[in-house]
Amino acid sequence: MSTEADLSRTRREFLYRSGLGLGSVALSALLAEAGPLSARNPHHKAKAKSCIFLLMEGGPSHIDTFDPKPKLTELHMTEFAKERTKFAAAMNTGKRHYVKSPFKFRHAGELGIEINARFPHFAGAVDDICFYRGLQAESVNHPTALYHLNTGNRFGGDPGIGSWVSYGLGTENENLPAFVVLPDVAYPQGGAANWSNGFLPAHYQGTALRAQGAPVLDMNPPSGVTPEHQRKNLDLLGSLNAIHRQRHPDHDELEARIESYELAFRMQAEMPSVVDLANEPASTLELYGVGDPNPEVDAIAKRCLLARRMVEAGVRFVQVIVGGWDSHDYIESAHGTRITAIDKPMAGLLTDLRRTGLLEETLVVWAGEFGRSPDNGLRGGDKAWGRDHNAKAMPLWLAGGDAPRGRIVGATDEVGDSAVEVVHPIKDFHVTLLHLLGLDDAKLTYFAQGREKQLSQTGGELIRELVA
Amino acid sequence: MVHGWRIKLALNVWCGASALCAATPAEDLFRETIQPTLKQHCLGCHGEGELFGKLDLRSREGLVKGGSRGPAIVPGDASASLLYRALEHSGELKMPPAGPLPDEAVAAVRDWIDGGAAFAERPEKASLDWGAFKEEDLWAFRAVKKTEAPGGIDSLLRRKLAEAEINPAPRADRRTLIRRATIDLTGLPPTPEQVEAFGTDPASDKAAFGRVVDRLLDSPRYGERWGRHWLDVTRYADTAGFSNDYERPNAWRYRDYVIRSFNNDKPYDRFVLEQVAGDELFPDDPEAILATGFLRMGPWEHTGMSVTAVTRQQWLDDVTHATATAFLGLTLGCAKCHDHKFDPIPTKDYYRVQSAFATTAFARRPLAFLPAEDTSGFAEGKKRVEGLIAQLEQKRGRYAEISRRYLMEKFGVSRFEDVPEVNRKQDAGLTDEQMWARRIVNKHLSHHAESIKRYRPLAFSVTSGLVEDWNDVGPGGAGSYMKKPDYEQVEMHVLVGGSLESPGERVAPGVLSAVERYSGLQAPEFAETTAGRRATLAEWIVDPLNPLTARVMANRVWQYHFGRGLASNANNLGKMGAKPTHPALLDWLASRFVEEGWSVKALHRIIMASEAYQRSSDPPDGAAERDPGNSLLSYFTPRRVEAEVLRDSMLAVAGELSLATGGPGTNPQISRDAAEQPRFTQGGLRPPYYEEGRREDRNRRSVYSFQQRSLIDPMIEVLNGASVDLSCERRDSTTVPTQAFALFNGELSYDLALAFANRLRNEAERVVDRAFELAYGRSPSEEERALAERHIEEMTAYHRDHPPAPRRQRKALVRALPSQLSGETFQFTEDLPPWEYEENLHASQVEPETRALADLALVLFNSNEFAYVY
Repeated sequence: MSTEADLSRTRREFLYRSGLGLGSVALSALLAEAGPLSARNPHHKAKAKSCIFLLMEGGPSHIDTFDPKPKLTELHMTEFAKERTKFAAAMNTGKRHYVKSPFKFRHAGELGIEINARFPHFAGAVDDICFYRGLQAESVNHPTALYHLNTGNRFGGDPGIGSWVSYGLGTENENLPAFVVLPDVAYPQGGAANWSNGFLPAHYQGTALRAQGAPVLDMNPPSGVTPEHQRKNLDLLGSLNAIHRQRHPDHDELEARIESYELAFRMQAEMPSVVDLANEPASTLELYGVGDPNPEVDAIAKRCLLARRMVEAGVRFVQVIVGGWDSHDYIESAHGTRITAIDKPMAGLLTDLRRTGLLEETLVVWAGEFGRSPDNGLRGGDKAWGRDHNAKAMPLWLAGGDAPRGRIVGATDEVGDSAVEVVHPIKDFHVTLLHLLGLDDAKLTYFAQGREKQLSQTGGELIRELVA
Repeated sequence: MVHGWRIKLALNVWCGASALCAATPAEDLFRETIQPTLKQHCLGCHGEGELFGKLDLRSREGLVKGGSRGPAIVPGDASASLLYRALEHSGELKMPPAGPLPDEAVAAVRDWIDGGAAFAERPEKASLDWGAFKEEDLWAFRAVKKTEAPGGIDSLLRRKLAEAEINPAPRADRRTLIRRATIDLTGLPPTPEQVEAFGTDPASDKAAFGRVVDRLLDSPRYGERWGRHWLDVTRYADTAGFSNDYERPNAWRYRDYVIRSFNNDKPYDRFVLEQVAGDELFPDDPEAILATGFLRMGPWEHTGMSVTAVTRQQWLDDVTHATATAFLGLTLGCAKCHDHKFDPIPTKDYYRVQSAFATTAFARRPLAFLPAEDTSGFAEGKKRVEGLIAQLEQKRGRYAEISRRYLMEKFGVSRFEDVPEVNRKQDAGLTDEQMWARRIVNKHLSHHAESIKRYRPLAFSVTSGLVEDWNDVGPGGAGSYMKKPDYEQVEMHVLVGGSLESPGERVAPGVLSAVERYSGLQAPEFAETTAGRRATLAEWIVDPLNPLTARVMANRVWQYHFGRGLASNANNLGKMGAKPTHPALLDWLASRFVEEGWSVKALHRIIMASEAYQRSSDPPDGAAERDPGNSLLSYFTPRRVEAEVLRDSMLAVAGELSLATGGPGTNPQISRDAAEQPRFTQGGLRPPYYEEGRREDRNRRSVYSFQQRSLIDPMIEVLNGASVDLSCERRDSTTVPTQAFALFNGELSYDLALAFANRLRNEAERVVDRAFELAYGRSPSEEERALAERHIEEMTAYHRDHPPAPRRQRKALVRALPSQLSGETFQFTEDLPPWEYEENLHASQVEPETRALADLALVLFNSNEFAYVY
């Protein structure tokens, strides 16, 4: 295995040095036997073969979801006394007060794990979940923290996790993109750079399936152009390209470009059946909340169901983005509606994956870019209480594959200001996430900008407690 | 006193074990006493002037290694050190020969050696093991070797071809050659008339092609094409990136500066000086002020959620890396946290180079528009932005009115002025939905408030030391969030592990020690003043003896002609970059470049006159087996054209390309789904993407498209456009199916195909022939003509039976979004922009024959021949 990896590394270096980025030759000489997206063996055995990453954009509060802090009720409205570091952002300075959680918590599942009582559906799934309370981000700035969580590089430009995973494992279905992103109607802060292929070849770019309109940009021709019309043009294109190919018999790249048009039209044909939920039984739709009178539930439910269908169809990595968690004010209503919107869809997803057996081989991750503070500045009197950003503590859970079931790993301090047990930085989480997918961050490297690059940037440590 | 030194020195020895160390008394001693002593009394013979006795006292390594008499020092033991004994005049060797040094100086040397002989301000002190580098990896740091090559490029390629027993391919035919040269130099295909004129030019191939090259170099299209290459390297964008992605309203002046510089063949050394230190070196030259926009091209944002020290450091790292990458072809970023693992660049050098930027502040300077900057469209452009602002102000007014009424009612007063001031809250009486909508309106307005500054005579630039009035850390009140860094007296420290929280040893501005060590170019003296640091750095970069600069640029120019550099990683001439296939040729080019006064156009002429450039793209016998990568250049390697070339060529061939030059970026037609995509920013939404109303404004060359970091034209992006975050050394040409979606399904392709068809019907009798001539620069073969004509016939019949769908109407966008206040979904309407939209020609406006011809045009745009240069 390692010899093979070394060889491919050397080949890549050679290609880099000879100016042929992997991409330009991948379709011809280098991987003639196996395309860049062909399914590949993992570095080590792992149950999970694919991943659904539920990204809660905006910074969900750990204190108001899965990490109850009764102490805050006691301290409510008293001044937050903790010393701030000299590297504090303007947002976190000034006079601040503790804010209690407006939510009731309940013990859920057989194990009695405590979660916000406004997750009635999710409560039924907690025995499958591993809650992690020890993760810390490094920035309280949305785009930087999002880039960090999604690409390992706070300043953007690097490949997304899904790109790394597809680069490592290829895909089970080459007629679909290997890495699919299901964003909200609006793109998150930092935009498409959150799922960019960075310096990896374009095959590994995340394909955003848009929540409205054609799922893939330009997947369909302008309205009024029929498949027949298109096919005729495609045939002429094929004939002209064939004549041209005869004139340049030594020019291998031409073949790849000809093939890419055919592949595009296979994708065009296959995609609608994957994104079409009409064939799902009513009970499944109901399970997720598709058709729910609350449009938020309906929209997220569709994306969660789509995620399962994607994974089922062989897509390697699906990222579902659910925004709106940036509740600086009115945490009860702002977070409350988010919680309601996501509760049924994510519980439905877990239930569905479990009953179809897919949970065994699908890792599900739920995380935001950072957590929220136990305190707040004085904003509009006590009715407007919300929470600011907090990089030192954040909510995260895992389920499926080799993730432990029904466990709480790590802990935050008594007010939820900072993680204090099993504390790890984002890069360690990245190492762990890859590990759970059978990939070794230290081996999953790509030669770019003069060095071997990796998701964790400079290497990280496996969080053993998150592996069953 | 002496005793005190000993204690400090002992500490330093302990500390010296780690490469990066905060305590510096030993270094102080070295800097204040030892170094001046050595410089004044010793280096004349043992280092700078001569190397008598093969002894080099310039580095600690040199001292330890010693000369023909053995080591000069034994660190930690002065009495065993030859240097000390010689200075003491106690033994056989007495130095300096002119007479002994003062006792204090000799004692200082003794203590210094006893304390471990630390060097300060010299990278040699760092952990870097200079001996570990292999000569073959250091080629780029060695002085450029002047090669005599009367036969030019071809004589330097010949030997390896002969060794491989490959007879290079013959000269390409004239039609192929003019297409190659025209796309290379202008990014556009030649017109059929140009092809014809060259094809029938009775002059010799050499003379005729020389004239073609001259004509192309004189074309304003040349600067647009080659300026784009440079913008790839510098990551040009019109916005700042990250959350808000605010416009940098004056960045376009840098883009135009780059284009002008190429068109005017500005000597490259001057071009570099201006970009690194134009404000310091040529303060009275407005071009040089505009040039400094280079230093700020990376993405950068500071908000209330940012930490000043962090965003400041982020810029310092960015500019250090960007400068090294662009001009020196080195990946300096690797040395930020630890000594470079592959190249002889200690971390300390990284921070020394960074110190050159430590006193630099962002500035938005007043700078009158130049005669070369066409401001004729400004009044109109400004009016358009004002129109958008007025639209939004009106909306905002409606919310204000609701609040006023609510408050007046609440307080039972008939005049708003009677509402107590403390209660006049903007959100008063608004529903959650209205509150959130008002925020979006405000956010849009804050964006337009920036955008409208495009038309003001300001420069996106820098100053050395802060000029308050010009301070430019970002719109939206970002300035108030930012603690002002001290730009005047900046102490730079090595950041251990790259972390701001672990400042290590203090460093002074400097350059890469490896260059001095390996090439002999002496490192310049930097004054640790506020101004002048960048000037010193820039002058060192363009010193004709700098081994990197001319090589890097000559290699880039070669790369854009041949698809691959002689050293094929144009941004990395270090160990991990590819070794040059023809080092003597690269050096010959680099020295010719400097001899020609750093003229890039001269370099083009030299390269394009070569046989190598003019060869056919058919591989000769044996090439595939003995040189599969064509590194010997026995034939011309075909390559796919870049995204912008493809778009511009489609526009040109369709007769739709506008050749207007310069000015603020314009919004072309992009995928409508992408344009309508809502995008969150901090606390709101970015204003929608509004296409230009006039066709000619939409159909400008791609280099003038407004480059929004958060919304790159998806067609450009999918066709491997340049990253706006990382320097792009060379466009990738990976083929993926989504490219077919963009080109074969995209509305722009359909629209331009129709325009092309319409042009053909208006201009030509033999439409098929003309279509091939315009698209490919050649007539169709019999077979092709027959295929095309049959297709038109079939499709005409098809279109007769299938009347086109009506044009998609442009309408206001209704967005459904979750409120961040309540989490509930609410609707927000984005109005259509307040200007006329000049529609493209639509299928419903033309005959079935024209629609059928448009199908042929669409196929030509998508064909491989259109997408490749041979």
